[in-house]
Amino acid sequence: MATKILVAVKQVTALDEDFEIRADGRDVDADFFLRDLNEWDDFSLEEAVKIKEAGGEVEVVVVTVGPEEADESLRKCLAKGADRAIRIWDEAMEGSDSQAIARVLAAAVQQQNPDLVFAGVQSSDHSFASTGIALAGLLNWPHAAVVNQFEFSPGATQAVIRRELEGGVLQMMSIDLPAVLSIQLGINTPRYASLRTIKQAAAKPIEQVGLSDLGLSATDVGEAGSASRVRRMYIPEKGRAEMIEGSLAEQAAKLAAIIKEFKGASA
Amino acid sequence: MIDPQSITRTLFEDFHPIAVTVFYAIGYGAIGIFCWGTWIQIRKYRYGSAYAAVGTFISRFKQMTAALLTHRTLVRRDHAAGGAHGLIFFGFALLFIGTSTITVEYDVLKPLTGMRFWYGDFYLWFSLVLDVAGLMLGGGLAFMMWRRGWLKPPKLSYVRPDRTPTDPDYDRSGYQREDWAFLWSLVIIAVTGFILEAVRLVWLQGRPEVWDYRWWSPVGAAFAIGMRAIGLSAEAAGMIRSGLWWFHGLIALAFIALIPFTKIKHIFTASASLMLRDPLAAQRLPRVPDAQESAGFSYITDLNWKQLLHLDACTKCGRCHEACPANATGAPLSPRDVILSLREFANKTLASGTLPDQAELDIHGKSPGQVSMETLWSCRTCMACVEICPVAVEHIPIIVQMRRKLVEAGDMDPLLTKTLQTIAKTGNSFGESKRKRGSWTKALATPIKDARKEAVDYLWFVGDYASFDPRNQKVSQTFAGLLQEAKVDFGLLYDSEQNAGNDVRRVGEEGLYDLLATANIEAMKNAQFNTIVTTDPHSFNTIRNEYGDFGGHFEIQHYTTLLRELLVSGRLTVTKPLGYRVTFHDPCHLGRFNKGYDAPREILKLIGCELIDMKRCRDNSFCCGAGGGRIWIPDPVGVEKPAQNRIREAAVIEGLEVYVVSCPKDLTMFEDAVKTTGNEGQFVVRELIELVREAVASPVALEAPVEELADG
Repeated sequence: MATKILVAVKQVTALDEDFEIRADGRDVDADFFLRDLNEWDDFSLEEAVKIKEAGGEVEVVVVTVGPEEADESLRKCLAKGADRAIRIWDEAMEGSDSQAIARVLAAAVQQQNPDLVFAGVQSSDHSFASTGIALAGLLNWPHAAVVNQFEFSPGATQAVIRRELEGGVLQMMSIDLPAVLSIQLGINTPRYASLRTIKQAAAKPIEQVGLSDLGLSATDVGEAGSASRVRRMYIPEKGRAEMIEGSLAEQAAKLAAIIKEFKGASA
Repeated sequence: MIDPQSITRTLFEDFHPIAVTVFYAIGYGAIGIFCWGTWIQIRKYRYGSAYAAVGTFISRFKQMTAALLTHRTLVRRDHAAGGAHGLIFFGFALLFIGTSTITVEYDVLKPLTGMRFWYGDFYLWFSLVLDVAGLMLGGGLAFMMWRRGWLKPPKLSYVRPDRTPTDPDYDRSGYQREDWAFLWSLVIIAVTGFILEAVRLVWLQGRPEVWDYRWWSPVGAAFAIGMRAIGLSAEAAGMIRSGLWWFHGLIALAFIALIPFTKIKHIFTASASLMLRDPLAAQRLPRVPDAQESAGFSYITDLNWKQLLHLDACTKCGRCHEACPANATGAPLSPRDVILSLREFANKTLASGTLPDQAELDIHGKSPGQVSMETLWSCRTCMACVEICPVAVEHIPIIVQMRRKLVEAGDMDPLLTKTLQTIAKTGNSFGESKRKRGSWTKALATPIKDARKEAVDYLWFVGDYASFDPRNQKVSQTFAGLLQEAKVDFGLLYDSEQNAGNDVRRVGEEGLYDLLATANIEAMKNAQFNTIVTTDPHSFNTIRNEYGDFGGHFEIQHYTTLLRELLVSGRLTVTKPLGYRVTFHDPCHLGRFNKGYDAPREILKLIGCELIDMKRCRDNSFCCGAGGGRIWIPDPVGVEKPAQNRIREAAVIEGLEVYVVSCPKDLTMFEDAVKTTGNEGQFVVRELIELVREAVASPVALEAPVEELADG
């Protein structure tokens, strides 16, 4: 039986210079978004495609939760070697936090029934770093976070992984399948998707999945289904920084003056 | 009075009829082998992909004939070898035509009509001309042997920079043996021909119609007199003649039979290659058809038939090897070896009537005949190889097509990958926000028009380096100032301009090039202007030569022609002739690619500079090393870079004050190289624009004059 790897990816946003905050104050104005595939997901997809290319019957399915613009990132995944792409979206999903996204993904995993789910350690825009693990929790599957080495032969019931821990310690462990892994940067060298292959991937279908297809309702997702909500997004006041110049004595004197000023005139 | 009819040479004189039949049989056999061998070669070319030749057959034939008759491509940068080749070529051609004339009379006209012309005056002049032809051939061959045996120019050593001595295809001594065999076979044919002529004279010395006219074949006569002096009798001469006749004849026939299988075939392949020459081979790269599954060349059969033929045209003359900046600085690339590798590969895999498995046709890798990615990435697409090749081999399109495959497979330097991703995302190689493309104009007192909003005469295409690199931004500001003073009506595309794509295309990222070119063309079409002017030779090349294939037909000028026009017409006035001693570096994309050699030199003259050209100038200009996307790939540490090599060349010019460039990438590369070669303080690198600024009166001086910087 073929091994199926589901790679959960996200189209993230980077900010152009001199951006502005949206009128409601809860996000950056979309006009200033530069969209791209999340950097971590580049690595998790590469890991899945590498397993496929090493031989054996392997199917790589990428799935994302996002609006139509996310198709661009899915096409990039298809260009890099994913077999199928699924985009899940419903207006109601707007404002979902990582738990709500994990709920959507869990429903998709139950439909797709993969042997492995790869997620990036985190997304570069919102940095919750919890979607993959929340997904494992909802599925009640074994999971491992921050994986930076992965050994697996298609068809096996276990995989051997290496994780990065604090303080430069590495941990080798085996994990039973099916499992959810969150993949760390540097685990491999993601390949380049030439613009031509991305264009060619446009001919491949992207499966569109809605709320009801997954047996979910509007209250499961979006702000209603989230445990947290964004209140405000803003650019902090710039802190004061000053380069102190002059001879050593002058610098010391200036520094002392600044300290005095901060302590207050009374001291 | 001797009957003119008897002044001739009796063919097969004293031959037994069976001997004549045997000779004819061998002759037909040789022609048969020649035809069979030719078919094998043609069958090989037919395995190549389709190609529609440029221009009509007649025009291509004329172009080839002109190249052959003038030997123009052969004498360039090697007058001696080119001249010697001319002697061999014209000597051989005359001898061939002469021998064919005899065949026309003896085997065609006489048996069919009884007509004869090979006697009397015609015969005598024929003898004289062929003797001279034989001398030319011999002289040319003698020089070539001296050159190979004693002069030993490095370009003929065949040492491969792309292989190590342990590699199975490192050894190229087989080629050397073939070269010598080729020379010797011609020498033997020529010498035995003369001796044969002499012994015939000695043998038939009793016949006045032979002996009295001996000086019409002066070389033969001189030999004959020598032979008589050492006491050779007529009878003995007759015997030598019979033996030597067969020896000479058999070697000549073997030579003909071997043509398709040896280096000799360049007589045909080089001529055909010249006929198929694409004058824009490197300037306008081929598009990838949308329907084509994967971009570029993976297999030998992906080369088109013309390219397979080009491979066979190479005579290993080494001119490309010598001109290549990658090879000159120790990179694992020699354009000649790329061609020879692929030729060996084609001969190995395409020689039979059936194709081997596709896996055996893969030209990428390090096995014999394959080309490695290190080799392909060493190329700077500077066109030095294509431009100097005497037989019109076009290396660059092959190299770029092979790179397209590497790009698709992601086999490239990680920094290049990053740059391509950056360009795809931001439209420029600096990773700057699109919105900031026009930021350099903020420093100007008078704003520059937005060509998207109002009609302008000139649309200035600025390019990445001149837009974002701080040093080049200053040059852009200076140029804008000059145009404003000259009252030129010009504007910019501002953030609608993107990287022109010239180098992206030469890297082999065709999909990205398509995207950039299409976006720029769209932006240009939405603007109103008469002519594009650009300060970037790379952009100049692709807009001029390649945008047309994507629907963008625009008139474009490099800034040097515009500045020349402004100076000549007096719209800019030189108030302070500079008097600097300068040298000028021809940018590849302005010079070799687009033949813009003169405008910058005329400007230098107009502003009162004394130009001392480097030895490698104009068409032989030496690439700064930034071309073909190499500016985005780090050069190996501890090895001389092409730009350093070039600066060292300039540094020997006595009293050099300014090294003048007219390309933003050159400015970056050479300012760096002046520092790293320890020439700082000796001379400075300047954009031509900056010198013009200095020479033309201006209300505000933007730049410190050269002298201050040189001293400081």
